Amino acid sequence: MQRAWSFKLTPTRYILIALVALMIIVAIVRFIFGLGMVTNLNDHWPWGLWIGFDLLCGIALAGGGFSTALIVHVLHRGKYLPIARAALLTSMLGYVIALVALLFDIGRWINFWRPFFYWGYHSVLFEVFWCIALYTTVQILEFGDIFLERVKSFPLKKVLGYAMTPLLIVGIILPTLHQSSLGQLYVVAVDKLHPLWWSMIIGFFFVWSAFFLGPAMVTLEGTLAARAYKRTPELPIFQSLTKVTLWMMIVYLIVKIIDLVYRGVFSLAFNGSFESNMFLIEMIVFVIIPIIMYAIPAIRTKLWGVVTASVLVIVGVIFNRMNVVFTGMATQMGGHYFPSPWEWLVTLGMWSVLILAYLFIVENFPILIKEEHAKEVAVTHGASVGKSVPSGA
Amino acid sequence: MPKGVLVDVTRCFGCRSCQVACKQWNDIPATPTTFNNSWDNPPELNAYNWTRVEYHLIEKDNQIKWRFVKRQCMHCEEPACESACFTHSFVKTKEGPVIYKPTELKQDFCVGCRYCMIACPFNIPKFEWDKALPFLRKCRFCNDRLHEGLEPACVAACPSGALKFGEKEELLAEARQRIDANPAYIKHIYGEKEYGGTSWLYLSDVPFEEIGFKTGVSEKPIPLYSWEVLRWTPYIFVGWGAILTALYFYTKRRAEVHAEEDMYTAVETMEEEKK
Amino acid sequence: MTNHFVDYRNTDVFLIIGANPAEAHPMAMHSIGMAKGKGAKIIVVDSRFTKTASKADIYAPLRPGTDIAFLYGIMNYAIQNNLYHHEYVVNYTNASYLVSPEYGFSDGLFSGLEEKDGKLTYDSKKWDYQKEGENIKKDPTLQDPQCVFQILKRHVSRYDLKTVSQVTGTPEDILREVCATYCTTGKPGKAGNVIYAMGITQHSYGSQNVRATAMLQLLLGNIGIAGGGVNAQRGKSNVQGSSDLAMLYNYIPGYLNCPIAPKHPTLKDYLEVETPKTSYWSNKPKFLISMLKAWYGESATKENDFCYDWLPKLDGKDHSHMAIFADIAAGKVKGLFAWGQNPAVGGPLASAERMALEKLDWMVSIDVFENETAAFWKRPGVNPANIKTEVFLLPAAFSYEKEATITNSGRWVQFRWKAIDPPGKAKSDLWIADRIFKAIRQEYQSGGKFPDPILNMVWNYDLPGSEEPDLEKVATEINGYTVADGKILSTFANLKDDGSTACGLWIYCGYWAIDPKEEDPRLKVPAAKRRGREDKSGLGLYPKWAFSWPLNRRIVYNRCSADPAGRPWNPEKVLVAWDGVRWITNDVPDFKAKDPETKEPVPPEKTANAPFIMLPEGQGRLFASGMKEGPLPEHYEPVESPVKNLISKQQNNPLAKRWKGEFAKLAETASKEFPYAATTHRLIEHYQTGTETRNCPWLVELMPEMFATISPTLAGKLGIKPGDEVIVSSARGEIKCKANVLPIVKPLSVNGRTIEIVALPWHWGYQGLAQGSIANDLTPYIGDANTSIPEYKGFLCNIKKA
Ligand SMILES: Nc1nc2c(c(=O)[nH]1)N[C@H]1C(S)=C(S)[C@@H](COP(=O)(O)OP(=O)(O)OC[C@H]3O[C@@H](n4cnc5c(=O)[nH]c(N)nc54)[C@H](O)[C@@H]3O)O[C@H]1N2
Ligand SMILES: Nc1nc2c(c(=O)[nH]1)N[C@H]1C(S)=C(S)[C@@H](COP(=O)(O)OP(=O)(O)OC[C@H]3O[C@@H](n4cnc5c(=O)[nH]c(N)nc54)[C@H](O)[C@@H]3O)O[C@H]1N2
Ligand code: SF4
Ligand code: SF4
Ligand code: SF4
Ligand code: SF4
Ligand code: SF4
Ligand SMILES: [Mo]
Repeated sequence: MQRAWSFKLTPTRYILIALVALMIIVAIVRFIFGLGMVTNLNDHWPWGLWIGFDLLCGIALAGGGFSTALIVHVLHRGKYLPIARAALLTSMLGYVIALVALLFDIGRWINFWRPFFYWGYHSVLFEVFWCIALYTTVQILEFGDIFLERVKSFPLKKVLGYAMTPLLIVGIILPTLHQSSLGQLYVVAVDKLHPLWWSMIIGFFFVWSAFFLGPAMVTLEGTLAARAYKRTPELPIFQSLTKVTLWMMIVYLIVKIIDLVYRGVFSLAFNGSFESNMFLIEMIVFVIIPIIMYAIPAIRTKLWGVVTASVLVIVGVIFNRMNVVFTGMATQMGGHYFPSPWEWLVTLGMWSVLILAYLFIVENFPILIKEEHAKEVAVTHGASVGKSVPSGA
Repeated sequence: MPKGVLVDVTRCFGCRSCQVACKQWNDIPATPTTFNNSWDNPPELNAYNWTRVEYHLIEKDNQIKWRFVKRQCMHCEEPACESACFTHSFVKTKEGPVIYKPTELKQDFCVGCRYCMIACPFNIPKFEWDKALPFLRKCRFCNDRLHEGLEPACVAACPSGALKFGEKEELLAEARQRIDANPAYIKHIYGEKEYGGTSWLYLSDVPFEEIGFKTGVSEKPIPLYSWEVLRWTPYIFVGWGAILTALYFYTKRRAEVHAEEDMYTAVETMEEEKK
Repeated sequence: MTNHFVDYRNTDVFLIIGANPAEAHPMAMHSIGMAKGKGAKIIVVDSRFTKTASKADIYAPLRPGTDIAFLYGIMNYAIQNNLYHHEYVVNYTNASYLVSPEYGFSDGLFSGLEEKDGKLTYDSKKWDYQKEGENIKKDPTLQDPQCVFQILKRHVSRYDLKTVSQVTGTPEDILREVCATYCTTGKPGKAGNVIYAMGITQHSYGSQNVRATAMLQLLLGNIGIAGGGVNAQRGKSNVQGSSDLAMLYNYIPGYLNCPIAPKHPTLKDYLEVETPKTSYWSNKPKFLISMLKAWYGESATKENDFCYDWLPKLDGKDHSHMAIFADIAAGKVKGLFAWGQNPAVGGPLASAERMALEKLDWMVSIDVFENETAAFWKRPGVNPANIKTEVFLLPAAFSYEKEATITNSGRWVQFRWKAIDPPGKAKSDLWIADRIFKAIRQEYQSGGKFPDPILNMVWNYDLPGSEEPDLEKVATEINGYTVADGKILSTFANLKDDGSTACGLWIYCGYWAIDPKEEDPRLKVPAAKRRGREDKSGLGLYPKWAFSWPLNRRIVYNRCSADPAGRPWNPEKVLVAWDGVRWITNDVPDFKAKDPETKEPVPPEKTANAPFIMLPEGQGRLFASGMKEGPLPEHYEPVESPVKNLISKQQNNPLAKRWKGEFAKLAETASKEFPYAATTHRLIEHYQTGTETRNCPWLVELMPEMFATISPTLAGKLGIKPGDEVIVSSARGEIKCKANVLPIVKPLSVNGRTIEIVALPWHWGYQGLAQGSIANDLTPYIGDANTSIPEYKGFLCNIKKA
């Protein structure tokens, strides 16, 4: 029997809906009068909040999807399954939002479909575009599994099930590629992006950080969701996930240092300039401190500890992306940019959509697996995902 | 034969006929401006100002040097804008100009993502922020005039000989000759090597960095940078795909056996695979 | 200009003083750049570090209004160091002439100063040459203390570099460098070129400034040679043309003095008084009578003095621009045609001139736009209801919308074809003039005070089937023709004083003629329409490009380019040369190279004594008794000056023109209230009063707002930041504009005091797309004694944050 769709309206949700409505109005103005009307973007700052935050950070934050997918479905760490669906959901929503943000942001939006037919394959953006488009499709298909389960359309779910394994694998390759390409977009900005961030392997830093961000996101999300839905946070899962993050961050730090030294720009980090200070904050506050926190069991094993460290990691990735998009480009681009209220509003509206959609889906779809089933599901699911055995409903 | 323009900063006296000629030929409206202390309004390039003469007043040892530097698209030999554009809207023509196809050839594929603006090392392409469906705008090297065998409008208007249009190779030769003949010149032709070379070349008698040029920049064409990272894509796709598939089947079996393995092994495996 | 723009490429050293070709004459910079490319040195002397200065080898700043001291500094240096061109000076100038013992000079004043009708004037007889019978006494050794050279030497010896530096504020080392560099052109074969413009002329002693440049050039042997000369970069595009055609009140066409009723009551009087016995001006009767013939046609006969009586005559009073406006303000003038002029912005003390317009009964503005003058009755701050003047605005076609000739500073008369039709009801000025004249004549049909000249004036320019008058007919009249058959004349040598020839403007004679010997069909057109690019000499003379008056001569006084024996000073840049048998002439010779009767070549010895054929003495004047305030320039301070005259007790030019009442407001010397030295200048983006350019969006975009330039030091002292609103005030008013803080103006150390300079462009007004304050609301109502040009470039002001 299919339950009725339900969505409880609370005051917070009303506010979120209002924000969405406002966003829609701003969007209409933007489409009729152009970007100059609603944004503070300018010739110095062709990319602003929407690209910098909604797209670059959004996609990175949605990295939780592919890292958990990798851990759960490819490495078959079944115990993490309870969080996999949530991660997939946020990730999918994140991508959809990023794509909508992109549509808002591109000037000649009526041409948005052109790149499908006109292949500028020498552009990094080409790779980003295709990967993101494909991956969003893959995610929707992946999510289709859950959707079909919810609507109890088992024959269809079965069909989809056959495609699941390749979909999952493609669904990991694609983000690997585009998470790195998002960074590689800046490879052309040689002599423009400050050398503390510019690197031929900026793509590695992007994909690597998007990956280690995943567990942190899951931790935070899990904690928040648990709070919201009055369950106990899955602390043990978080704790063991942090080990992934810990090791990956150590690698990140080492590679970063080697890269800087190799390019002979290491000393720039200490010359006292604005860029060097921002870089140091990024590395110390958002990389080294979380590493230490994760490494110390006394902190790691506490909920506050693991959550704090995760928040640092998340903010750190955002901080890094902002440094690339803004701090590192400032000198060469000149001029000024601070997002207009309208830009903020669109971003807020967009994230409100995300939250609302998340809430709606969580409340209507089998996303958050019941604790009592977790273990069991973990085993069966881990064993059966390829065969698409329905689980955990 | 590819054309170019040699800009000799020592000759320019800042009359800005070129600036007006550009607007006139290309039918670009004036933009509102306000008082500008350095006199070089409009203050910067934008969609409605494709070229601009920058006034650089340099005071050193109680001596003033006032230099006027016409700036516009450099028409790179291997343009970053072209390589950045995933709809191939910017192209380098064999005659020299780097053109924007949506306006130049009415081939409108541009989505307005502005990645070209991020990519251009000289910050040249500009966006019609005030339009609902904006185009990118920049100097087009008077592509239409070149096809008619004419020199660009700005060059035609220049009274000082600061702008010289011709075969790029010949211009380079002339530039070298001018440098050799007159010790006042900085011994550098800006644009000869920068980012793999540009169709517009500059000579100056004051160090280029004092008149707003980025110096010490890469001599490697920017497209090569992105190519160097992009060319790995297929390998990553196939390789990473293979690893993932292998891992998938391997760990699936293991998972069936030890459902609750410790995470550390997985991390180690991953580390190994990565390397 | 003695030379022309293209000729600049032959110059070795430029002395650009009080001109800013990079902004005001950009095409001149083309040739200057060419010369520089060949190694020429450029010296720029200006109160601002200009765009032209940016191309200079030496930039010499100077305090506004101190050019005579500066130029004398160079002359003194040349004489003291024996760097002048001795042979040239002896042979081609009046250096050897002995001057009357009555000539005297002491403490800033020359002998002969007297008061007449309440006005100071000089009795120039006291400066005459000494004569033996008809002949002037000379001392070719230049040793006689009464000879011009010695007088000059004594006169300029007071201008040693230290003194000059103290007056001008130019650092002494820069001065020395300028002297040393420019005096290299005193060597035979080297060409120095003095380029000047309004920085030199717009002073209460502007004409003497110009004289000083001419003297310097004579001293260094730089006149009459390729790459040399005194080159006045005149107003564009046709100020040369309009002065040729007697835009100035005291001339009739071709620089003939306008008859003055008390002085020249009859033709005979005029010709007797005005015609010198020697020099080419001895032909003056031919010029005048041919002109009268052109004007009055068949009515002009020998019997009736060719209608000389009909010519309007002056009353002997000043009727220059300032005088006219003073008269308007005094209610003496009822109506005004502002025909292509905008005094509401461009006139000195424009605020007062605008006010004066209110006294008119009627005013007609004939203009391409409704400029500030046309709109004076609705200007900011006035109530149109209180202004009774009836104002008409006739829309005129712009230069591209009609055909005609313009004459550039290099005396080239060039025809310009029409590019587009005028918009709306705009008409060419010729059309407007034609209709106005016909309408007036219509009025006179029924009688009037003195209808004859109007009813009988030759006015036959109709072109059947056309709205426009026939330009060919006008051009033919200006060029001159034989009365009997109407054939176009090709040279003014053929003009007659018997009424058989008619010619509107003798110096243009030949400009509309077609060269009968020309074979190229493209060049078989009236001379002004020619565009031949051939230049056999390689000197940029381009003899078949348009027409250069007089007689298509490109460089005047060109006899001076060769030594007395006819050997060119510079064998590489030959204008004329005697090859032993005849003259080789790359340019049209400015001397009698061939005897007009015998057609035989005239040998060099016979031509060497009169290379300046327009002067009665035939030789260049280092000493010129025709000047109002003395035969030699003397440094005076601008009427408003921040300092006392260091050179003499005579603070100002005693003969400077001053006006009364509203127009007499002046700040005292070294005023505390107005402590800064102000000057005005042009910008390339705007043209004059800005009517044309402030209505062009592209130019407004380049230069949108009025500003005042001050030095960073002054800005620092007054706490003014770039772009701040400031109030600039003078004894006559105040204006508001933006502060421009740039080191292009620098404080100058003048006799131990620091003088700050405020520089103002004057292109803004209250009409047009871009509006701004009018610089001329600050300028003084002071005129030069000889020409009445206003003292736009030297007055006092104050500046403060608004
Ligand atoms: N773009 C443009 N071109 C023009 C015009 C225009 O309005 N705009 N006007 C045309 C006309 S009608 C004319 S007459 C010419 C005028 O052409 P210019 O005379 O060259 O122009 P200005 O800027 O009036 O004055 C020239 C220079 O004199 C300097 N100066 C000021 N006071 C002094 C002084 O006391 N001594 C010296 N040595 N220099 C001083 C000023 O700083 C300025 O740089 O330009 C013509 N060309
Ligand atoms: N402070 C200061 N004042 C100055 C000067 C200075 O250096 N400093 N310079 C002085 C000098 S040198 C000059 S020449 C004067 C110039 O002073 P003006 O001659 O009064 O100034 P313009 O702006 O040239 O005015 C010309 C008018 O003619 C109109 N016009 C243009 N073309 C045509 C045409 O074909 N037909 C008709 N009928 N009208 C036309 C224009 O629209 C404009 O209104 O200013 C003087 N004023
Ligand atoms: S300068 Fe910039 S816009 Fe111009 S061709 Fe080079 S990369 Fe493209
Ligand atoms: S904005 Fe247009 S031209 Fe520029 S990169 Fe994007 S699609 Fe290409
Ligand atoms: S080449 Fe053409 S488009 Fe480019 S600056 Fe010159 S006039 Fe403008
Ligand atoms: S037209 Fe020539 S001289 Fe004038 S500003 Fe442009 S480049 Fe310089
Ligand atoms: S008159 Fe015309 S051609 Fe001559 S400099 Fe001025 S704008 Fe140029
Ligand atoms: Mo003028």
